[in-house]
Amino acid sequence: MTFRRILILAGILLILFLGMYTWNQRTRTLDELATDTGLELTGAVLAPLRAMQDSLRELWRRYFDLVNMREESERLKARLGELETRLEIYGELLAELERLRKLIDLPEDPVWKPLGARVLAGRMGPNAVLASIVINRGYMTGGRPNTPLVTNEGLVGRILRASAHTANVLLLTDPGSRVAVITQSSRAFGILTGKGPDKPLEVNFVRRDANIKQGDILITAGLDRKFPKGIPAARVKSVAPSDYTQFLAIEAEPLVASRYLEEVILLEPTGIARLSEEPDDSPAEFVGPLVPQKTMAP
Amino acid sequence: MKEIRNLCWWAVFITAAIVIQAALPGVDVLAVGLLILLQERDYKNIFWLGPLFIFLQEGMGTRLFGGSVLLYVMTAVLFRLGQWWFEVKSFLFVVLLSTVLIGPYYALDWLMAPLQNMNFDMRGTLDKCLLQALFLPFAWRIFTLTRRWRKNNEAAE
Repeated sequence: MTFRRILILAGILLILFLGMYTWNQRTRTLDELATDTGLELTGAVLAPLRAMQDSLRELWRRYFDLVNMREESERLKARLGELETRLEIYGELLAELERLRKLIDLPEDPVWKPLGARVLAGRMGPNAVLASIVINRGYMTGGRPNTPLVTNEGLVGRILRASAHTANVLLLTDPGSRVAVITQSSRAFGILTGKGPDKPLEVNFVRRDANIKQGDILITAGLDRKFPKGIPAARVKSVAPSDYTQFLAIEAEPLVASRYLEEVILLEPTGIARLSEEPDDSPAEFVGPLVPQKTMAP
Repeated sequence: MKEIRNLCWWAVFITAAIVIQAALPGVDVLAVGLLILLQERDYKNIFWLGPLFIFLQEGMGTRLFGGSVLLYVMTAVLFRLGQWWFEVKSFLFVVLLSTVLIGPYYALDWLMAPLQNMNFDMRGTLDKCLLQALFLPFAWRIFTLTRRWRKNNEAAE
């Protein structure tokens, strides 16, 4: 084959590739196909292995539990007594909370359904350039794209792409992640942006006169309509006036250490319309314990 | 029987590749499979394993479709070029190829980042490429050894 022919062949292949690339960018056909096959197969391989790993770990743990059982039992009995006392106090507090909720008429939240999911892996392969994790839920099992993920500590991120039973999750730390947040104490608004794994988060567009201190908790504002309102997302690390913009330069740290994640909770939108009439652009939902449903006035 | 054994070997290889990729973020283990297929001139299996490798990588990745196609085509082209001057089944050739592949791996990340409106982490990408260059020859060595055992068993039968 002459050099000229090689060049022509390379040119044709390049044009074909660019054609395929732009067509896929517009239609996402190949992306969906790759997600449905590649990601699904990856999940199918990793899920049983993770289950096996869990079983072995559990077996090992149980052995040690047996060894230390008597000592643990004594300690637990004492703890149980203490907790029973606490439970009585908390029961009162819960009843009070319910009364207060009714009193200030907080909106009900049947909009989000919590679903547990197992983390299968972190970034996988040379194409995983975003800060992401793989979980064992897909669009058939409650993990549709853009579904928010939380743990008991706070916000983790949202689902980026999903196959039938497996999904890729974009973490808060990724530079492409943007979340509308407010500070828990002073209610100052900002946009939480990732700067990459192991780097602090950045809070942009916070007014200079906002009263924000180090250690303040940032919660989701719900204004982006991707995340429910009120989920703790990050803790303020440093606050200083920006040298370049008219806003504050704020650094924050995520509340959830994504490196050590094993289980997460998906907040699946149920599709149930809220009872109270709200305009479409209003701040989104409050996430909290469900309160008994009100009946609509005729 | 030989075909079934070969198929089983590839099934085990793919499972192992997925597990290793889950354990070592950013590393491409399926490239080892492509290299083995090219070395064995197993064009019949490349026909279905090649697309499978591409769909697996693209599926578990977070970029738009296309990166793995370019990467694996570049690997095949560099392999063919190397065939003219080197003994392609030697460990030294694989070391050389994996070193040369740092270029395409790095260039691909650099080219795709602005195309897909993503941040390009120069240091992170370089680390990933170097890890891949170090990983590939040793992974190739281990997988070819298991392949050789399979062939020896077949010869003994």
